[in-house]
Amino acid sequence: MSKLKLAIREEKTAYKLLLPAFIILIIVAIYPLGTVFYTSLTDKRFAGTEETHFVGFENYKRLLSFTVKELPPVMASSSPIDKLEQEVDPETGESVYEKAIKILPRKPIRYKELVQFNLFGKQYVIGATDPDFIQAIGNTLQFTIISVLFETILGLGIALVVNSNFKGRGAMRAVMLVPWAVITVVSARIWHWMLQSSRVGLFNTILAKFGIGGGQIAFLSEEIWQIPSMIVIDVWKTTPYMALLLLAGLQIIPMELYEAAAIDGAGKIKQFINITLPLLKPALAVALIFRTLDALKVFDLFQVVLGSREYSMATYNYYQLVGNRAMGYSSAIGVIIFIIIFAFAILYIKALGGVDSSE
Amino acid sequence: MNNITMKITQKALFCFVLAIIVIYLLFPFYWALNSSFKTEAQLQMMPATFIPRDPVSGNISFSLINYKSIIQNQEFFYGLINSSIVAISTTLLALVAGSFAGFAIGKLRFRGKQPSMYIILAMTMFPQITVLTGLFAIINTLKLEPRFSMILTYMIFTLPFTTWVLAAFFKSLPTGILESSQVDGATFFQTFYRILLPLTAPALVTTGLLAFIASWNEYLFALTFTTIKPAARTVPVAMALFTGYIAHQEPFGEIMAAAVVVTVPIVVLVLIFQRQIIRGLTAGSVKG
Repeated sequence: MSKLKLAIREEKTAYKLLLPAFIILIIVAIYPLGTVFYTSLTDKRFAGTEETHFVGFENYKRLLSFTVKELPPVMASSSPIDKLEQEVDPETGESVYEKAIKILPRKPIRYKELVQFNLFGKQYVIGATDPDFIQAIGNTLQFTIISVLFETILGLGIALVVNSNFKGRGAMRAVMLVPWAVITVVSARIWHWMLQSSRVGLFNTILAKFGIGGGQIAFLSEEIWQIPSMIVIDVWKTTPYMALLLLAGLQIIPMELYEAAAIDGAGKIKQFINITLPLLKPALAVALIFRTLDALKVFDLFQVVLGSREYSMATYNYYQLVGNRAMGYSSAIGVIIFIIIFAFAILYIKALGGVDSSE
Repeated sequence: MNNITMKITQKALFCFVLAIIVIYLLFPFYWALNSSFKTEAQLQMMPATFIPRDPVSGNISFSLINYKSIIQNQEFFYGLINSSIVAISTTLLALVAGSFAGFAIGKLRFRGKQPSMYIILAMTMFPQITVLTGLFAIINTLKLEPRFSMILTYMIFTLPFTTWVLAAFFKSLPTGILESSQVDGATFFQTFYRILLPLTAPALVTTGLLAFIASWNEYLFALTFTTIKPAARTVPVAMALFTGYIAHQEPFGEIMAAAVVVTVPIVVLVLIFQRQIIRGLTAGSVKG
């Protein structure tokens, strides 16, 4: 058989072998992605009889429009005209400003209040056409950045400890796999129970012993505790995964480098900065990318523990689809999540010098 | 002498750090186990106790009531069966399609190899939530069975990964094997089946386990697709929507017992295959 014929036969075989995988991926990923992009430009309802209209970027406008407006102070009606004084709430003693609802624009879509803040003595309000979604983006970014940061630090610490030589290292690695293997929903439920708002929960029991919170901290219903609680749960669940990836990276660093450095009189800290960190960079980069992109998609944890009390981007998408039957709207959310994740991936690859170059 | 004391202190400190890490990683699981043996009255005790104790006398007292009630819980039972069907089928399908594609990418020469590789790699980071709406629409229009839909859609996160890891594995096999069997007149398919597949058994076990665990854990698609047919719910969905027989409040005792029941087999599996799993988890990161 001629070489050319063999090459052609090989190529044909390759295409045949790739066919099933590509057909499956087209059906479950690429085609639905296309329909989601298109649907996001319509006002399609799910399982409804309403007619679907093409609305252009209307869904995106509704999701993302926000505005900052200054709230003028309310003048006390009792003060003389030439010496106006701001009215003060007699109960709280705080200055009174105009109500946000009067200041925020109502047309073409009504802006609702997201948050108020004070800057240089002036009161401002941020209004958004969909404050829940803007809040969800904020929640998700906060969750992602802080939890990935903690996971990296803790994971690196654990990896360094486990990387040293000691009896029972194998057992230790097995223990590290346990949180990773627990179903996310199950771990969310377990932590949900540990974070109960009275002393039936573990955390309130322990904190009350140290005299903190009186055993009454509402970790999951009070707004300031919600996102930190999510972060604590996620850090527990995924730090081991991070540690395993970093451990694998540590294990390919040749011991001779450390020995040589020790002979040159470099201390442990110097060795860590000059040898460990640079050589760990590829493994660290991959671990960071995996974890960040995963955290941006967070769904299980938020849906199980917080339900619709506080949203992540993914749970908001789910509630718009299943709860509100707003298909066009939820498609637009999906596209925005896609773009944010894509942006993060590009950002990482640029910042960390690319994954490919480490090959 | 001073040197020896230093060494002992260092060792003690090291053991202490290790102990803290182990407690941190295992404690939530211990707490679930502890709570699963408590009755409703014991669960409501304040402060919470670290071992199940009688509310009145304070003596240690274990109860199996939660386990009894989840054994009788039909939804939980069906959840286990549905999860097994879905996870096993997903794993097999991903391994078959993934080993085909992995072999092509890892061992064969063809035009368009580079783009195919990049598409597969990009797919491993694909956000499932983005296509949720599109998939749900297709499933509803075609009236697909939820379990079948889950198996098919779980390919999004199992197939690219499986293909990628197996491609790297096939690539590492010596090309000589391939060529000698070609000389013997075997077709590529025959070489693949008779020679390469047996050699790849360890890699198949690794990727298969990871695909199985990922499908066993999946929640977003399972929750969405089973809204129309609750009988098809998998374990994570059943766990999330758990409503017990006894209490009006959330039945945390039963939930904890269920958590123990679904976690123990997975933990056993993980402990048996820990080497393979760690190899699989880190396959992408170290080789680059």
